[in-house]
This record gives sequence, structure tokens and C-alpha cells, in this order.
Amino acid sequence: MRAGYLWLASFAILPLVGAPFLGHRAFRGFGILCRTVLAGGVGMVLLSATMTVWALAGWRWGPVLVLASAGVAFALRGLIPKRSDPALPDPRAERRDEGPARTPVWIALVLTAISILAALAATIAARSTSPDLLLFWGPKAQQFASAGTIDTAFLSAPHLEYLHVYYPPLVTNVFAFGAIAAGRFPWGAATLTFPLLLAATAAGLAGILRADAPAPRAAAASALVICALGLAGIASSVAGNAEPFLLFFEILGVALLLTPAARSDAGKLLAGLFLAGAAAAKVEGLPFVLAVVVLFLLLDRSAARPLARSALLLLAPTIVSIGAWLAFGATRRVFFGYKGYGHSLEFHWDHLSAVVSAIGIALWRVGYALPFAVPILVLLATRPKDRRVFLPLGVAAALSVFLVLTYLQSTQDPRLWISWSAARTFSPVTALVALASFCGREEPR
Amino acid sequence: MRKPLLLSLAGSAILAGFSVAALPFSRGLFRVPRTPYDANEASFLAPAWILLQRAAEIVPRDVSVVVRGEPPDATNDSYLHRFAVALLPGRKIVPAAVWNVASAPETLREADYEVVVGGKALAPPGSRLVLSIPEGSVWKRER
Repeated sequence: MRAGYLWLASFAILPLVGAPFLGHRAFRGFGILCRTVLAGGVGMVLLSATMTVWALAGWRWGPVLVLASAGVAFALRGLIPKRSDPALPDPRAERRDEGPARTPVWIALVLTAISILAALAATIAARSTSPDLLLFWGPKAQQFASAGTIDTAFLSAPHLEYLHVYYPPLVTNVFAFGAIAAGRFPWGAATLTFPLLLAATAAGLAGILRADAPAPRAAAASALVICALGLAGIASSVAGNAEPFLLFFEILGVALLLTPAARSDAGKLLAGLFLAGAAAAKVEGLPFVLAVVVLFLLLDRSAARPLARSALLLLAPTIVSIGAWLAFGATRRVFFGYKGYGHSLEFHWDHLSAVVSAIGIALWRVGYALPFAVPILVLLATRPKDRRVFLPLGVAAALSVFLVLTYLQSTQDPRLWISWSAARTFSPVTALVALASFCGREEPR
Repeated sequence: MRKPLLLSLAGSAILAGFSVAALPFSRGLFRVPRTPYDANEASFLAPAWILLQRAAEIVPRDVSVVVRGEPPDATNDSYLHRFAVALLPGRKIVPAAVWNVASAPETLREADYEVVVGGKALAPPGSRLVLSIPEGSVWKRER
């Protein structure tokens, strides 16, 4: 029990690591709670990347990692040019949200709280634990903590191919960091990352959206995203696996690009760091990042100018983070790039109807597909006219195509694989659709 | 209240309601689970979890261990090997089966300990019982 508390307490270091970056005046408009969450996300990305670079260099992990990561955050802060201000609203404007506008905010907060508490209750009651925690996330983190590095001998051991050695390192690194602090890997505490990251996503998302919209609209859109992810997560058993991490980085990264933060270098670099977190959390995070950056550069020309600079700010953290991981795999001869589920660019189109129907069945099993259907219905009913809606919807479409093509690569009947994975892999799609409803009709402030 | 706002809140209310409904009330929501998989679709993992957690207390580090199910089943044993890698860290885990193919019997006899999940296990030859619980048993090979 004590190890579990220590393991969870070690997460408090993450906002401290990211604080030098988020302490920049450009981010002051986000509010203290949102900035703490964003600092935690940046801290997680930098700590994980530093752990990977440490392993690549052949150094054992130790407390100096925290200082080194915070040093990187400080250096990144220095990269933000003067007068890079995302033009966020004055936090004092909150006070103007009084009277009738308070009611929808409170309703949204209560619904968000119910979803987070339901996720917490489901996790504590052992309803939503992912088998993948026991199969590979936990064993790898446990072994890396014990070895004080990314353990090449363990990853190359015979009969352990099922560990997916090439999976990007953020989740195992963060789990291992906590396990070093706690003295062992606490399996039960690891499942609590689901409600914890859902709450962090809620706090971060509401704060980011508030930079671009009145409090009721920001709170309502945030509630829809969190309630959809809460039900999808409970029903598809994501506690202890990488989905909560992936969604935290994906949703906050895209949300940043929907707000005035996207117009400044500071905001783009922050979004770039969150996209790097998504790419380092799961394999499908990388195509997600590419889709986000390409669509942002194409759709929001005024915010994206100059294009090369914007692309660099958005992509450089991912290139460094994933580059270090792929370099580690190649230099240790453990893996060479990401492994597909078949021959690349060879798709079994004869499986298409089986894949589509299996995806439909898998989504139906998650709360009668409500986490997917409700955001779509809300979006259709609100009929958004803002051009920015094409960013989350375009990314959702690109990710859906990527996932279907991945399932079509399987040489064998993919229906069993889809039955236990599709509800999780498609959860970013529903979150993006829910987020798109935020780009709906403008309301008077 | 404007329509988009109302729709978002109504949608959120439906989803939050179903989240609460998805909780395992019938199992006793406030009863402390014995394993992280008790109320889960993967609840079949629970007996192996309990036995391997108990085995971790008595099987020393740096010894070799084979974990198998009773009655023998190569698919089940393949998964038990993976669970043992997770829950018996620091031990050399000898697979009773890999990718649904059973290992050769002589490979299993090399292990210092044998963990048998489920059923009434016959004593492995040359072994003595060191733990027996409803979820299975742990045997130490006498050399």
C-alpha cells in the first residue's frame, strides 16, 4: 500500500519539471490549475525523453534525471521569443461570467465530476483494469526500474516477443520512474492513472478552451469530451494501459491548436510538446501527430505562417523524442523501427466487411456505442460553421482510416483482435468529434 | 440556454449516467477486490494473480520457475508464462508453453519450482508441496 502511495506521489514531480517552461509569461492566461496540468504534461514528456536519452548513452537512471529534465524545460523557455504572447484573455474576465451563465458551467462541472468519480470507482472496484498492464506495460516498467535503465537483455530475451519491444517508451518510462521512487512497481496504483489522467485532461481542456470562448461553452465542450472518454474507458478497460496517457496528450495538443495559443511560437511549441507526448505514448500517436501538423498547416494558414517555423515548433519535440527511441532500438539491435501487423502496404481487402462489422460490434459493446454516437449527434445538431472544426474532424477521419488499414494488414482473420482493441483505439476519434462541437456557432460573450 | 450548449450538456448527462450504470454494483462496489481483475471481463486472470502473488512471497529470487495450468492446456499455459514474467520478477521463468505450443517435458523438469494454477495437481515427480490454496499449488523440486 505504501509503495502505491509513493508511486502516485512521484507524479507530483512532473509539474515541477515542466514548471520552468510553463512559468513563461506567455502562458499566464491559462489559469493556475490549467497551467499546472500543462506543466505536468510537459514534465512527463521531458522526463521520459531524458530517460530514453540516458539509456541511449548507457547511463543508469538516478535523481539527476529530474534536474536534467527541468534544465531542458528551462532551455525551451529560453527559445520562446519575446512578445510571443498567445493573446489569451485576462483571467479577471472570469468574474464577468456571473448570473445565468454560471448555471451551465456548474452543470458541466457536476457532469464532469460524476464521470471522473465513476472512472475512479470502476478502477477501484477492479472493473476497468486492462490485461495489457499485466502482459507488457507493467512487466517492462518493473524490469526497467529494477535495471535502472531500458533493459536490453530483458527486451531481447527468448520467449518475450509478446512484450512489443518497439512500443514507444513514455508509459513504461513514467511507470518505471515511479517504481524507482516507490521501491517496487505497484500494480493497483498503476490502474489509478486512468481516473487521474481523465481528471488532468478535464482540468487542462477546460482551461485551454476557456482561452477562446466564454466559460459556459468551454465547460460544456470539455464535459462532453470527458464524459465520452469516461464511459469509453470504463467499458473498454483502459485502467493501467497507455490509452489515458495517449488521450491526455492528444486532446490537449489539438485543443491548443484550436485557440489563440496556436498563433504564437510559445503556444505552438507547447502544442508540439504535447504532440510529442502522444507519439511517445503509443504507436498510433505518430500518425496522429503527422495528421494534426499537416492539417493545421493547411487549414489555419494565418496562424501557421511562417509554415516552416510552425512545422519545426510542432514537430521537433516528436522528432527528438521518437528519434532517441528508434536510435536506442537500432544501436542495441533490439528493434529497427515500428513493426506492422503484416507486410507494409499489403492490405487484405477481402477482410474489409469483416473488419467494418467487427469494429461496429466492438463499439456497440461499449455502452451501446453511446460514447461514439452522442458526440456525433451533438456535432450534427450544432452544425458548426467555424473553419477550425476541420482540424479535429480531419484528424479523426485520418486516424480512422489508419486504424482500418492497420486491421486490414492482418493476414489472419482480424475479428478477435478488433473485438478487444477497437473500442480503445477508436476512443481518440470520439474525443476529437466531441472537441469539434466546441468549434460550433459563436455565442456572444 | 442556447441550443449547442444544451445539446452538449444533455449528451454529457447521458454519458455520465451510463458511466455510473456501468459500475459493478451487483458485486458490491465498496468491497475491496482481491485482484485488479475481479469485476472485469478478464476476471479469469484472478486465480492466477492470487496464486502468483502468494508464490512471490515464498519462491526465492534467482531460481527458475515453471507455471502451468491444471488440466494442461497449451494456450492457457502460454498466458500463464506471461503472467509469471510480470508477477514473479527476478526469477527465471521457464515457459510451459509458448505461442500455444507446449514445451518439452524435460524443459519443465529443469525448473526449481513448479506453480500449478487450478485443479487438483498430482505431485510433480521429485517435488514437495510448499503451498496449497484453492487457486492452486506451489511445488519445490528436490535435487
